[in-house]
Amino acid sequence: MTNSTNNWIECLKKETGLEAKEGTASLQYVLDVDKQEAHQTLAYLKRAGFGQLSLLTCIDWIEQGTFQLIFILMHWELGHHLIVRALLDRENPEFTTITDIYPGAAYYEREVYEFFGVHFRGSAVYQKPLFLERWDDMPPLRKDFDPQAYSDGKFPKREHPHVFKANVVEVTE
Amino acid sequence: MQVTTKNDRSLWEVIGDYFRANSIWMKWYCTGCGAIEMPPTMTSRFDMEQLGMGPMATPRQADVLLITGYLSTKTLRRVIYSYEQMQDPKYVVGFGSCTLNGGIYYDSYATINQLDQYLPVDLYIAGCMPRPEAIMNSFATLIEMIKKGEARGWKHYQENYDWYKANQMDSLGEVIIHDEFHE
Repeated sequence: MTNSTNNWIECLKKETGLEAKEGTASLQYVLDVDKQEAHQTLAYLKRAGFGQLSLLTCIDWIEQGTFQLIFILMHWELGHHLIVRALLDRENPEFTTITDIYPGAAYYEREVYEFFGVHFRGSAVYQKPLFLERWDDMPPLRKDFDPQAYSDGKFPKREHPHVFKANVVEVTE
Repeated sequence: MQVTTKNDRSLWEVIGDYFRANSIWMKWYCTGCGAIEMPPTMTSRFDMEQLGMGPMATPRQADVLLITGYLSTKTLRRVIYSYEQMQDPKYVVGFGSCTLNGGIYYDSYATINQLDQYLPVDLYIAGCMPRPEAIMNSFATLIEMIKKGEARGWKHYQENYDWYKANQMDSLGEVIIHDEFHE
């Protein structure tokens, strides 16, 4: 694989047909991939110099009915950040684990499973609880989860004798 | 919390409280952003040692448990653990509006809203954040309360242990800590 890292964008386009676009910040690039080709693209990018996985997280696009997995990679020699994005079906969110490419992703996968319910096939540990202890409801960062209702049902509230309301003054001409 | 039991200290307890009030060791549990107000309170700017208070590294030797900020259910399990390790007499000070009514985390799925449902709070410091002046003021109040025998939360916890445990179970499920780093 190429070590002339200055032109990873051209190599990526030549070898995989994918085109990385410039991001909103300087030295930032964005790459949208299909779910099926995300794994091989990440493996390619790691060999191309993106040795660090800075973040793996998820976005719930509830109106489109999709989850979007976000991988932020960093190139240590060029200082480039690359945001790789892949869309998943919201009804049946499944992805293949990337712990064989970036072993540190195991913790991120556990977090994404816990807060969004995305399944990472091939990982032995992704269902192990990480942050939430004894969680008993739907994954809490999904947009259709109602934190107020959960809090009201679970945690006693203090009764307030006074309700403070803003005094709205109607301005008439 | 309204401690309604009558003040029936023995003579030795009165004497003990008098001396105890002048030498308080404090364990502050830095759960939230409130921890940032503690360094100026402890160091030379406000100097809580002028009141005879000092920091303590372990709950087993501390008198006061200061809860600085919001408590997630996960943290509350550890706080209850720490509280039950402390020796009597022990006092709890709730710090900031998060311990009072949830503060800005009132609708969070992860944080409790009212600390005195789970632990006997002797004194609350309102504010978001309370300034170091407010903390010093509350310490002076706490010392007076101990001298007068009004800081009786630890007795209330013993007398109403079932009520506190039931509340803890309702919100937490169980207090025993299970995680991969402790097993």
